[in-house]
Amino acid sequence: MWIPIQLNEQSAEPMYYQIEVQLRALIVSGQLAEGSLLPSIRELAQTLKCSVITIRRVYQDLENEGLLRTRQGTGTYVAKVGDEMRDVHRRSAVIEALEAAVDAGIRVKCSDQEMLDMLLDVLKRRRERVSSGAEGGE
Amino acid sequence: MLTAIEMKDIVQKRSHFELGPVNLVIPKGYVTAIIGPNGSGKSSLFRCILDLAKPDQGTVEVLGEKVGAHDNWQLKRRIGYVPEVTSTINDHLKAEQQAAFTRKWYPEWDINRHQELLRRFEIDASLKLRKMSKGMRRKFDLIIAMSHNPELLLLDEPSSGLDPIAWKTMIDVIHRYMDSGERTVLMASHIIDEVRRLADYIVFVVHGRVLGMYEKDTLLESWSVLYTDIGEGNVHWQSMPGYHSAEYTGGSAYKAVTSSAVEAEDWCRSQGVRIVSKQRLELDDILTALIEQERIRIQS
Repeated sequence: MWIPIQLNEQSAEPMYYQIEVQLRALIVSGQLAEGSLLPSIRELAQTLKCSVITIRRVYQDLENEGLLRTRQGTGTYVAKVGDEMRDVHRRSAVIEALEAAVDAGIRVKCSDQEMLDMLLDVLKRRRERVSSGAEGGE
Repeated sequence: MLTAIEMKDIVQKRSHFELGPVNLVIPKGYVTAIIGPNGSGKSSLFRCILDLAKPDQGTVEVLGEKVGAHDNWQLKRRIGYVPEVTSTINDHLKAEQQAAFTRKWYPEWDINRHQELLRRFEIDASLKLRKMSKGMRRKFDLIIAMSHNPELLLLDEPSSGLDPIAWKTMIDVIHRYMDSGERTVLMASHIIDEVRRLADYIVFVVHGRVLGMYEKDTLLESWSVLYTDIGEGNVHWQSMPGYHSAEYTGGSAYKAVTSSAVEAEDWCRSQGVRIVSKQRLELDDILTALIEQERIRIQS
């Protein structure tokens, strides 16, 4: 099974973290459905050119979060993600990004209203781009 | 973590070369790659593990059994070995005759597995060993070493002479062999890309000494080149965490190499040093850096 994970080798973020964030997003967004069998640790390590130690750590972390479960001898599966948990995960990545944006605003002394206006402006532009992209393609 | 091989205080003194003292633990279930310059003692380590050469001092334990105390014939059934240089003693035999001969010594020989490997590596078993090209012979050596599904596979520069397609097949075959998680590979290699793709742990060996054993991803993440701009004033580079070198590159720019990238970047920020760009080091650059450090350590 091919999993769309892309690593940035020059990133300051360690490999296990990059993989973990992307795999979590794939599960929480439902792109990897409940019950999907993940590649074996060795297989995913081969695909991503990293060591099994890194992949084992990722699987372990996500198992502890309840997103994966391992059945002895058969492999690692995507667990059932409850709606509540899905929502928590879905929101947490966005909240994290917004926090970073707000920090950037505070650094250059933006007022709350300014930041809200910017957010609405960005939203408007992005939504327009998505809908125009969906109709005719760019 | 379970241990596949444990070397304790291994010393081997020869007129032209001295190995050790080596203390090394190779974990079970992983691929460990030994890298080092030519003549650094990699093959000697393999020979000690297999009792093909006796250390003057120290002990080797392989798969829980002490090596060299008796003839270890049962232990050797559980090991597969591809030596650096192929023996030419059976060159008059056909590949299938060589396989039939080797099979006698390995009750666990798996004929289906053997056939599958011959197919995957595209080896014609009716060919005489003498008639084989270097790469073909290498592939056949690997097949012979793996046909009894050994618990431990020792590969001394397995890919020398392989073409890129055969090389990819080899990488894939070794990955699949490892998939159960119970088996162990110890390999020596000069091919950086091979180590990157296969290894979980990396051991650096230089001048008969082990410079260290590292988890591969952590190692590659921790060594960095930082291209910096120090602005006005001076920077005491030696206090940078993981300092390896700092080179003046003109203007107020310095190129600094560190073995603790994250801490070094924090340190740069605290010193008011701007990081213009950074780059991870490749394994061969890390090896070169470690050799330099070792040389400085010996001199002082």
